[in-house]
Amino acid sequence: MDWGRVKFFLGEVARGFTRNAVMQLTAIGTVAMTLLLLGAFLFIRTTLADLSNGMLQHIEISVYLKPNATPQTIAALRASFRADPRISTVEFIPKAEGLKELRARTRGVIDTSLLTENPLPDKFRIRVRSPELVPAVAGELRRLSGVDNVVYGQGVVERLLRLDMVLQRIGVAMIALFVIVATIIISNTTRLAVYARRREISIMQLVGATNLYVRMPFICEGLIDGVLGAAVAIILLVVVHATLWPRLLEALPFVQFNTAVVDVPVLVLQLFLVGGVIGTGAAWISVGRHLQT
Amino acid sequence: MISLRSVSLLYPNGVRALDHVTLEIAKGEFVFLVGHSGTGKSSVLRLLYREMRPSSGEITVDGIRVDRLPGRRVPALRRHLGVVFQDFKLLPDKTVWENVAFAMQVTGAPTKEILRQVPRALDLVGLSHRSRMYPDELSGGEQQRTAIARALVNNPKILLCDEPTGNLDPANTTEIVDLLLRINLKGTTVLVATHNQAVVDRMRRRVVRLENGKVVTDKERGYYYLGLGQGQVLSG
Repeated sequence: MDWGRVKFFLGEVARGFTRNAVMQLTAIGTVAMTLLLLGAFLFIRTTLADLSNGMLQHIEISVYLKPNATPQTIAALRASFRADPRISTVEFIPKAEGLKELRARTRGVIDTSLLTENPLPDKFRIRVRSPELVPAVAGELRRLSGVDNVVYGQGVVERLLRLDMVLQRIGVAMIALFVIVATIIISNTTRLAVYARRREISIMQLVGATNLYVRMPFICEGLIDGVLGAAVAIILLVVVHATLWPRLLEALPFVQFNTAVVDVPVLVLQLFLVGGVIGTGAAWISVGRHLQT
Repeated sequence: MISLRSVSLLYPNGVRALDHVTLEIAKGEFVFLVGHSGTGKSSVLRLLYREMRPSSGEITVDGIRVDRLPGRRVPALRRHLGVVFQDFKLLPDKTVWENVAFAMQVTGAPTKEILRQVPRALDLVGLSHRSRMYPDELSGGEQQRTAIARALVNNPKILLCDEPTGNLDPANTTEIVDLLLRINLKGTTVLVATHNQAVVDRMRRRVVRLENGKVVTDKERGYYYLGLGQGQVLSG
């Protein structure tokens, strides 16, 4: 390792970087804004995906039996459910227990002591192995003899998926916009840097420096813009997460957000990667366009 | 060492900068390229270091067909050449030492080699004692000597000089020309484009004269002007 060469190269990059400090700060700020949006978007999406996934996983099918269902019918149904490979759990809830559950669930809201007789039918509570099986299985169960009605979270699944899609579209559009803005600003910074150093560049080319060598300091500056921008974005995200997120959770107490599903090291890595790619890519394109060879 | 065969250069605006120029320069020669401004002297040099490509004709520099050289091979060509300009082209925020070292650093030379070659080049141009100074602390002659040291530090076989004394007073001019002569005596082929009559007439070297993009005379031990008798020319 020739440290003299490394030192010289890093010195050139540092000089180029500080010479154009205001422009570099603008570039870093834009990258930071872009990545802040991207980070928030990824964070919210992962959390929401987990939320809807959790809801889907917990969807139960309630199979209500006809009032006249005999113990034989119940036993036959139970056996057929157990035999179905798509069904993971089967639980029989006699009408008496159903009423007990209803009372527990509505305590203080509805006075169930007014009920003189049990209006509930017997039912099976069934879970299937994966959420997308729910509609099909529910449809089949409805046709079985002795079954009166089948209920599951119809509509919930669809609504969750639609929300997810809308959020995704808005997020992608905004991120695309910011990536374009960041690219333009970094390109422009690079263009100014090329202009400011045209003397050095012409001498480098004159004494036989390779194109790659001439370009490298500018590419490195772009990379630094991108990485520093990512660092700023990550710091801002941490601050936002520490201050705003608890308030959001407070405001939505009924929603079970599980933020533990966000893999923070991976998110940080993703933001650094995207920042680096934007910075390097924009600088590469710009230096290629503005460098006469 | 340098060969131009029927080289023409047409600018996009239709101006014919060079018109079927043919020129052979042997290894170790010292050649003046003379003529008025705009007669194509600089164009010849720029074709040699492949700043431009000719519209037609063949150019060979140290065995390399420059007119056909693809862009990615240009750096390799330029490492065989040293180029010196009228305006020195020094970096103002680097010292003399750094300016000279820069030429080696950006071509990826190892530090050990830089530490050996830079003092040698500075010694050759007589600037060892100025190595820590910045260009604006130097006289014009010293700045040009720095530029020459930078051109020579990679040990080129050919030194191309475009009006090297154009910005200098007579004393500094003499100093630079003597330096170029010494460099030539060490075996480097030197091609100097100039319109400084005094220099050309004092040195009595090969003189190639361009007019309107054409070679009009090519004389060993020539004078700046054609047709002047030796007696009519004052030397110095």
